[in-house]
Amino acid sequence: MPVVAAIFQTQLFVSVALAVVALALILGATAYCIYFERKVAAWIQDRMGPSRVGPWGLFQPIADGLKFVWKEDSFPAHVDKLLFVLAPTISFVVPLVLFAAIPWGGQLDVGGGNLVEVQVANPDIGLLYILGVAALSVYGVVLGGWASRNKYSFFGGMRACAQMLSYEIPLGLCILVVVLTMGTLRLEQITAAQTGYWLGFIPQWNVFLHPLAFVLLFICMLAECNRAPFDLPEAEQELVGGFHTEYGALKFGMFFLGEYAHMITSGALISVLFLGGWHLPWLAWTQPDAVSWGAALCKIVVLCAKVCFFIFVMMWIRWTLPRFRFDQLLRVAWQGLIPITLALVAWTTGLLYFGVQRSPLWTLWGNVLILAAALAWVARARTPVTGRQDNLPPVGAGTGGAG
Amino acid sequence: MTVSTSYLLYLVFAVGGVGVYLLLPRAQRSARAAGTLLALAALAALLVVLAVRMLGPGPTAGYFYVFATVALAAAVRVVTHPRPVHCALYFVLVVVAVAALLVLQRAEFLAIALIIIYAGAILVTYVFVIMLAQQRGDAVYDTRAREPLLGVLAGFVLMAAMAGQVDRLPLPRPSAASPFTGAVLSISPQGLPAGPAQLPGNTLTVGQLVMTKYVVVLEMTGVLLLVAIIGAVALSGKRVPVDQPPPTWVVGKIGKEVKPF
Repeated sequence: MPVVAAIFQTQLFVSVALAVVALALILGATAYCIYFERKVAAWIQDRMGPSRVGPWGLFQPIADGLKFVWKEDSFPAHVDKLLFVLAPTISFVVPLVLFAAIPWGGQLDVGGGNLVEVQVANPDIGLLYILGVAALSVYGVVLGGWASRNKYSFFGGMRACAQMLSYEIPLGLCILVVVLTMGTLRLEQITAAQTGYWLGFIPQWNVFLHPLAFVLLFICMLAECNRAPFDLPEAEQELVGGFHTEYGALKFGMFFLGEYAHMITSGALISVLFLGGWHLPWLAWTQPDAVSWGAALCKIVVLCAKVCFFIFVMMWIRWTLPRFRFDQLLRVAWQGLIPITLALVAWTTGLLYFGVQRSPLWTLWGNVLILAAALAWVARARTPVTGRQDNLPPVGAGTGGAG
Repeated sequence: MTVSTSYLLYLVFAVGGVGVYLLLPRAQRSARAAGTLLALAALAALLVVLAVRMLGPGPTAGYFYVFATVALAAAVRVVTHPRPVHCALYFVLVVVAVAALLVLQRAEFLAIALIIIYAGAILVTYVFVIMLAQQRGDAVYDTRAREPLLGVLAGFVLMAAMAGQVDRLPLPRPSAASPFTGAVLSISPQGLPAGPAQLPGNTLTVGQLVMTKYVVVLEMTGVLLLVAIIGAVALSGKRVPVDQPPPTWVVGKIGKEVKPF
């Protein structure tokens, strides 16, 4: 059957197959992320965690999912129905669409010397595609808060809007550092460019070039996912449930799954940008010239393991650190992250001019200098970085004074 | 006898203008059905004129009609919907649909820049402001168009004037060999890595052009934005010194705050 074989060997077939498989796997993975989160929380708090449904509580996500589906799909009387349904849909769909540009397994020889990418799409604008589509996810939270016609929901939505807009800027700047260093927007090329070694044993991952950008990008991603300590939009103690107070059943489930899907996407993106994607040093199957089926599978497993690592760190942070206050949150973004990332971009641009943007000596010097400058600035600043603003005009004192 | 495409387009825009005029929000909603019918008829006629007279078949023609329909219908809803939040969201839909049209023209960079800047940043801010500004239902100035006749006349005359010239422009006609029209493809991409999976993208080309031929414009845009930022900082209110005691505000007898002498 040469015709059938030819169809199997096209990029289109691999893309469509990968899209279907990845979608199904990710839907399952998000459900089990929730189980994992509860187990991690239990471990950190010295409890058992879910243990009743199935062995070790493994069927708990299935039971939860069935419960979401079988509950009554109710609409409160006062909501804006179209937007009320649209909001969880956006929250759920946007992270799934983002998976299209993640390079899961490098190149694959499908027979006859045909190399295809194990990636749904490899557009020229790869990283910009991810930034652009991710920017749309703010609508889900904001519209959910607004369409509910509930003050707590509205506060949650407004907080989400300000927070995600603020943290998108340092996020974009951190990604810009990588783009300047790599000189390409294609995620596949960014991964492939990280497969060499310095001194013969240090993998050329970007995390060793720009550790500061790596940490800051991770912080911004926590904020973009609305994860603790940036989970102000759904702060239970202040806002009942935040933007999803009025939601129940499947619509709430979509918000919930969307958050975990966003975590997986963020983990995949930061792995590709800073931890070499599917590359693992000294493992022959994860090198760019390994194109067999086994190698592709091995690369996918490596990338998934890195994603799992980031998801675990996110959960660890959630159950360890308390939440920011909102003014602290915005101040961290505008007065902390944005100046530091701007300085990083400026330094990288300078290195690019001299052609040494991929020499770790120079980039690390920049990181150390910028970090030292930031710390010195904080140390000599007269205003406290955190703490209560006791000297603002009292509440209800008119519009004349508050800044 | 064949009618020139320009006159067909003028007719389409006249019908569409009447439809949109009837659709604009006003006190009594008597003519909405007629307006919807007229606007839909004009949309369909416009697509037919485009299909028969100008575009011809191509591998992506179907996508063009889908996204063009979405963009035009959403654009009409931006001006006719009585609720501002919905208007802003329809604007987002317009932006996304236009970005899709740009992708069809292989202008991927422009498309994603449009989405990042408009849908991702500017319109989110609009939505934010609209939501904060209107918490007590719809205002009168949103549920009624202020100058429906003038607005529709100005908009549609402008569109008709522009579209009427399309017939006379020396646009490259699509063919089987190069199904993409428009100016973007006439920029030859330089230095692109050749490979089986590499589509000719235009990020590199746009970057080269912006940084060489149009570098003055780029710098001027940067200066303009810097001025805007400084203006925003200057306008955004007084600083409250943290280390000084605040002025004591006195509440007067009728509840207004009085500044101490």
